[in-house]
Amino acid sequence: MTVSTLRMAVRSPRRIALSQKLGRWDIRFSPYLYISPFFILFGIVGLFPLLYTGWVSLHAWDLIGGQGKFVGADNFAWILQQQKFWLALRNTFSIFLLSAVPQIVIALIIAAVLDQNLRGRTFWRMGVLLPYIVMPVAVALIFGNMYGDKYGLINTLLGHFGIPGIQWHSDPLASQFAIATMVNFRWTGYNALILLAGMQAIPRDYYEAATIDGAGAIRRFFSITIPQLRPTLIFVIITATIGGLQIFDEPKLFDQYGTGGANSQWLTLTIYLYNLGWGQLNFGRAAAVAWLLFLVIVLIGLVNLGITRRIASNEGRNS
Amino acid sequence: MTVSAPLRRRRRTLTIGRPSPIVYAFLAVVMVASVFPLYWSFLIGSGDSSTVNDPNMSWLPGGNFLANASSVIGNESVNFWKSLGNSVIVSTVVSASVVFFSTLAGYSFAKLRFRAKKGLLVFVIATTAVPTQLGVVPLFIAMSAFGWTGTLGAVIVPALVSAFGVFWMTQYISQALPDELVEAGRIDGANMFQTFWYIGLPSARPAAAMLALFTFITTWTNFFWPFIVLNATNPTLPVSLATLQANYFVDYSIVLAGVLLATLPLIALFVLAGRQLVAGIMQGAVKG
Amino acid sequence: MKLSRRTTAVAAIAGAAAFALIATGCSAGGSTASDSSKPITLTLATFNNFGYSDALLAEYHTLNPNVTVVQNKAATSDAAQTNMFTKLAAGSGLGDIEAVDVDWMPKLRQYGAKFVDLAAADNKGRYAGWKTSAATTTDGKLIGLGTDIGPEAICYRSDLLAKAGLPTDPDAVTKLLTGDWDNYYKVGATFAAAKTGAAWFDSAGATFQGLANQYQNFFEKKDGTVIATTNPDVKASFTKVLAESATLSSHLTQWSPDWSAGQANGAYATMLCPAWMLGVIQGNTPKVTDWKIANAFPDGGGNWGGSYLTVPTQGKNTEAAKKFANWLTAPAQQIAAFKTAGNFPSQVAAYSNKDLTSATNAFFNNASIGQIYIDRSKAVTITPFKGVKYAAVMKVVQDGLTRVETGTQSIDQSWTQVVSDIKALA
Repeated sequence: MTVSTLRMAVRSPRRIALSQKLGRWDIRFSPYLYISPFFILFGIVGLFPLLYTGWVSLHAWDLIGGQGKFVGADNFAWILQQQKFWLALRNTFSIFLLSAVPQIVIALIIAAVLDQNLRGRTFWRMGVLLPYIVMPVAVALIFGNMYGDKYGLINTLLGHFGIPGIQWHSDPLASQFAIATMVNFRWTGYNALILLAGMQAIPRDYYEAATIDGAGAIRRFFSITIPQLRPTLIFVIITATIGGLQIFDEPKLFDQYGTGGANSQWLTLTIYLYNLGWGQLNFGRAAAVAWLLFLVIVLIGLVNLGITRRIASNEGRNS
Repeated sequence: MTVSAPLRRRRRTLTIGRPSPIVYAFLAVVMVASVFPLYWSFLIGSGDSSTVNDPNMSWLPGGNFLANASSVIGNESVNFWKSLGNSVIVSTVVSASVVFFSTLAGYSFAKLRFRAKKGLLVFVIATTAVPTQLGVVPLFIAMSAFGWTGTLGAVIVPALVSAFGVFWMTQYISQALPDELVEAGRIDGANMFQTFWYIGLPSARPAAAMLALFTFITTWTNFFWPFIVLNATNPTLPVSLATLQANYFVDYSIVLAGVLLATLPLIALFVLAGRQLVAGIMQGAVKG
Repeated sequence: MKLSRRTTAVAAIAGAAAFALIATGCSAGGSTASDSSKPITLTLATFNNFGYSDALLAEYHTLNPNVTVVQNKAATSDAAQTNMFTKLAAGSGLGDIEAVDVDWMPKLRQYGAKFVDLAAADNKGRYAGWKTSAATTTDGKLIGLGTDIGPEAICYRSDLLAKAGLPTDPDAVTKLLTGDWDNYYKVGATFAAAKTGAAWFDSAGATFQGLANQYQNFFEKKDGTVIATTNPDVKASFTKVLAESATLSSHLTQWSPDWSAGQANGAYATMLCPAWMLGVIQGNTPKVTDWKIANAFPDGGGNWGGSYLTVPTQGKNTEAAKKFANWLTAPAQQIAAFKTAGNFPSQVAAYSNKDLTSATNAFFNNASIGQIYIDRSKAVTITPFKGVKYAAVMKVVQDGLTRVETGTQSIDQSWTQVVSDIKALA
């Protein structure tokens, strides 16, 4: 603020009062004007659902029957006493870790590789994005066939080598691993391209200078790429966290019922809230789970942001 | 960190010379994994109804793809051309709008100074943390109150701006556009919008192109909300293709032929836009 | 998930009334033709395949030139349910006519005010009593008109039975399988002893399903109180089915990709076979030539699945919609749907229709499916009560069966968890 005010003060004597005023308004209000479309639209289509859900969570509310009596925090208290809720929270985290960590690491590798002076650049770049265009119905079918416990592709292959098949659906870890694979399949190439865009924006002379100083590829990667990439990395990590904790499609599609498994092996929080809301028609409790999930995500997001900032800036300082 | 493994082999500099064959081998593996589902879809989509349950399914395509595809197009309840047109309209409008407003907002968050900036940005990001499943009911109530249900507006309007896009452009611009350039523009006497238009926008082009592509794809494949809010007379492609599964027994050769048909425009977009995109990325790099 | 119920023998007394009903059913459509000239569009929301072809809908337009029908087809009953509940919650957006699966009908029955009473002079006595009572609210309002039902027979692979030295001819197998559940298991034990490599039935879950539909008050009392954890029949059935499935089941959970692939690969020799299952089997195993149908079911009869048409009050043209729903569920149209999609008519009057009585199915080695399923629907003698919690309780129990079948838990452990999960539904 001070810099631009100063600059204006310097220029102002040559301007007439009106344009001076307009210029000041321009500087003061333009930033708000530019971000306003988001907030206006959010006010129209986003805010109401948010408040509505909050209102619902404080009531006994049947999905179809509608609003019942005000119950305060009862829905929240009930949820927190449910073993299923904590199980779903645990599963959500474990699927999130199984997917987000390898996803970002592999995306970074792919991006670094694509950042080179490759032959057929367009081909490779568009190629890694292909999984993202496959429609969910095909994804469900393909992974359903791969992870079939008896006739699935993977277990059939293992069978050829005399290895007993993996119980993809009944074993909690195996089922969560399978779901994480589905997530990673869809999002790794996508994140790789985002990271690539960030990498491409790093001035090339930084690398040339480092090379002249005798830095090897790895050293260049950690002391130039990673710190310079910080804003993009923060973006990828935050969105992967938010998306990962809200994971819904993949566990929903993982079996024919979509309710999280016979022993809740892959019951996630979003599936749990769906089961409560649309299975048991208890909209009040479902809304409470939605709010709890929201709080969890914000909490983890903040922790993540802190860690990412620290890592990225330490790297920067060390170099 | 595991990141280093494949990189260790790369001795040459990033900008000079060509990468080693090992890099290409790595990319080839990634490519095979990426293409596999589409190829597999094609195997099923070019077979017949028994292909999907056949334990000895051939790894070479069958000969029925054209027949399956034409039965999708000819199926009256799929309403193929109408839904294709709707999908094109929805995806185009949404991605154009998302790119414009996100770039504008991202530029503002990244490079302009104003009160409560940090808080507002955190708020934008926080809105993506709201679980969407529950939002369907109130959003439907809202759309119904506006009288938009059954119209493309109900799918387009809620998607016109995205928090994700704003966040992405903010991060990209803060990294790719040096503050000095913005200041130079201001010193030259450009007003705020001119500075955005001539300095902010070009520097954001690579990220904007990518955001456009991502948004187009996401909108194109989106099923749940259009399924709830549109109807059989005015659907988008994923919604109308779902009627192919409306049976006790689902003939997946037809379903996947339909899915592939719906994917073709996206692949065409890749081919057409791919060069532009890569050029965009490079250009941004040079400017930065 | 398809979970369900059974039929009564009202069919038997329907003889004379039947023809009268066909007559009124048709005249209902015809007489309204000139009623109104205001052009309206009716939206009909269905799922899976109700057999309402474009030709059939065009026929209604011809009879009622002012009415244009648009059909919204959802892929699965699950998708349709999500859509319908969302719009009921939002208070708008539903079709003029909404198809409802028998599984979620109990949930809707408590919201009678949101649906139009469909009872009319010309659809009185149209259905077997159980079909009507499942769609009648406590205050006597009929909110759904029955479309199809799912009387159950047993489908079997004659090649696998031959391998085990058992009879293969439908008449002989019918005789062999006529009896109680113990008889079904006993024949299964003989089959298993022959070590053909195939299992006797597909899954404990499907078998339990068939059994559950033969009790009057299995999970809930008439007032809706959940008694599943205390009703000795439930625990006994649970334990019994699982004990038998240890040696007789292929352990492939119903509707999973493995289950479909198992059908194609001969993983199991028999399965409980409601009328609509025929299309599923044929679709999954188009190249298998050995499927046949036994006109028998353990302990008599059972019904699994079936649907209704409802008219939500939020629609603009509820009177026209009511008329149309009435026409669609009349015998002539049910026969048309049967021909299109194999949906077995719920209308007792349709059972004397020649198109139905003489219907055969080439894929099932020319089984006279019309006669078989008419017999099977007449064998249904008990009206199971399904209340609001039925579907949720059934899901919990099915999950319990799956846990044991996949080797995750012992029968006792699983039952303990079933009990606590049912308590959490409160």
